[in-house]
Amino acid sequence: MTTTTASGPTATEAAVTDPAVLRDDLDAYARGLRAWLASEPALDRWRGRHYPNTEERIADHGLLMGVLFRAGWNRYGWPESAGGLGGDERHRAVLYDGLAAAGLPIPAPHLMLETLGPPVVHFAPELAAAYLPAYLRGEQWWGQGFSEPEAGSDLASLRCRARREGDTYVLSGSKLWTSHGATSSRLVCLVRTGTPESRHRGLSMIMLDADAPGVTIRPIALASGENELAEVFFDDVVVPASNLVGEEGKGWAVAMYLLQWERAMYAWLSAADALRRLRDLRGQVATRLAAGARLPDGSAARLGAVYEQIIALRARSAATVRRLAAGDTVGPEASVDKVLLATVEISLFDLARDLLGTEFVLGATDEVRAWRNEWWFSRSATILGGSAEVQRTIIADHVLGLPKEAK
Amino acid sequence: MTTPGLDDATAELLAGSLREVLAEGGDLAAALAELGWAEVLADDPARATTLLFAEHGRALAHSRVLDDVLLAELAGALPAATGPRALLYPLHSDQPADPRGPLTGLLLGGLDGITEVVVPTALDAADAGDPADAGGATLRILPAELVAAATQPVRGFDTAAGWLTVSAAPAGAAGPATPAGEAWTRAVAAGRRALAAEIIGACEAALAIAVAHTSARVQYGRSIATFQAVRHRLAEAHVAVESLRSELTVAWGSAGQADGGAWAARLVKLRAGFAQAEVMRHAVQVCGAMGLSLESELHRFVARTAALDLLLGDYHTLAEQLGTELLAGAELEPVVAI
Repeated sequence: MTTTTASGPTATEAAVTDPAVLRDDLDAYARGLRAWLASEPALDRWRGRHYPNTEERIADHGLLMGVLFRAGWNRYGWPESAGGLGGDERHRAVLYDGLAAAGLPIPAPHLMLETLGPPVVHFAPELAAAYLPAYLRGEQWWGQGFSEPEAGSDLASLRCRARREGDTYVLSGSKLWTSHGATSSRLVCLVRTGTPESRHRGLSMIMLDADAPGVTIRPIALASGENELAEVFFDDVVVPASNLVGEEGKGWAVAMYLLQWERAMYAWLSAADALRRLRDLRGQVATRLAAGARLPDGSAARLGAVYEQIIALRARSAATVRRLAAGDTVGPEASVDKVLLATVEISLFDLARDLLGTEFVLGATDEVRAWRNEWWFSRSATILGGSAEVQRTIIADHVLGLPKEAK
Repeated sequence: MTTPGLDDATAELLAGSLREVLAEGGDLAAALAELGWAEVLADDPARATTLLFAEHGRALAHSRVLDDVLLAELAGALPAATGPRALLYPLHSDQPADPRGPLTGLLLGGLDGITEVVVPTALDAADAGDPADAGGATLRILPAELVAAATQPVRGFDTAAGWLTVSAAPAGAAGPATPAGEAWTRAVAAGRRALAAEIIGACEAALAIAVAHTSARVQYGRSIATFQAVRHRLAEAHVAVESLRSELTVAWGSAGQADGGAWAARLVKLRAGFAQAEVMRHAVQVCGAMGLSLESELHRFVARTAALDLLLGDYHTLAEQLGTELLAGAELEPVVAI
């Protein structure tokens, strides 16, 4: 990956530094961001960089967030009351796209920020004011505690309990498959405050410190060996009642609200990163071809098809992001974005695996190791955040209006 | 979404009128004239074109309305017309015919009432005064009666399209060749956007048939649309159509560029071809034997979208062409911006 440091921003691009203008004029923000990304030498250390493990990667990405925060760029799209500089989802989308286009990673903590940030800002502004600024600075990030050993796709059957005692809740139970769970400072969990039979009506969303007494976190390594996930145990953990996100018993509504961003913004963010990785792959394949390697039959057509799939995902998710920014409620149709996203992830990394061939299986370079790790992680695209099967069922029920599946 | 010209209510009204005309198999050209289509088109080309072609696809109509789209882009590069024109489409993707041999191609309908046929041919090195034009297209005009003598009705997969193949039209009779410059590129781009819309309409209709059939058809005491295997196929078909719709909106965003937004138009044609394959595969399966029979309408959509996929480049060919260019170093354009 080449780096551009020689030419600074042009006069017109450098002209706008007024936060009020960057907030209100998305084009000015996009131009200013591009110019900065192309000229800021401090960014070079994050280009084409590989890490020995996930913990170091996420920590280093936190430092990148610090650089973005000090220059202001990742504060747009978040309210001033929560450490932001105002603006809406489009600012965030432009940031992710700009980073990927400049050959930079989208900092890993932004993934959960896109999922957990919007509901916390909306339902618990005082928690957002207290904790979001440090998140934006990359000093800490949050994990999402939804799934449990016995509640995966059937989320409403979750059993992790929060018992009200005075001004506190006491949590007992466990959460499973928590992304970034091993390194998060805070957890946002969906817990049962109603009776065990209350299904989705008896749930509440609550934020707690990951190092509160009684919390035990066990990292879970994916097959790649990387600790991408975690299991979290709660042994009578005391949490202030003021840490509720939304009202008691309204956790399902908060979760549904959150899904709009989890499905749409995450899809856009992933598409931006997928295009960067396809560019990387094309570069590596060109090197191999120059060295006399042969590609498997049909490689060109697959490369063309994957590129087009990424553009289709960008087209769809850009429209959804604009709807979110306009304040529309994005309903079950967001599952379309999620299905497209999963399709892109699977086909991109299968393509990388096949084009890298022998090297993918036998190679030991950092570069190849990164492709292998990402290949394993890409398999989660059809599982995490609502499995491929759940998404198709949502579309069948709520978009196509088919008769309900037999119980 | 911004809709500069056509508001939702007007669009719905126009779609209803078009649906009526097309269902009755009436004279589309006359009906469009009566609706003041030229004005509608000038007002909001993206929405008007998409609406017209989606209805065309839904109704399984056959007409030469696609010719209008491409000829409008070519007009500036051609001498004044001496009468009504038709276009000879390449048999393979967007590659113009070889002018040295007898001309081949596709016509979207018979040539009654047509005076001249516009034929894009590969630019001969000898014709390319400017070497920069080499490899491009040159436009020739043939008298309609000469081309008509070399036509055969298509008796292929889609017998209802009313298309004609042209084999061995005498190239020598073509008038002076005009280098097309970017006009042919623009025409292909415009044609691909229109075809993508036509495929949307046909796919929506096929999906509606599949939804209706599986909801009504009872097996094991319940409608087969309650089986997950069936529901998930229909959901995937829906995803394919919606992704095509989004990409078409994006493709229109670059239509005003000098090359007519060729890059994005090729992408959306690729997506349209993929979407029709996906929708038809699932629809045929969930409709059971009914989906294979002449008694269901479904087969007509299967055959029509296969023909539409072929026109101006099928999705397999486009994917391979695109991938080959990318391997050779073409920019991985982001195409979509927020």
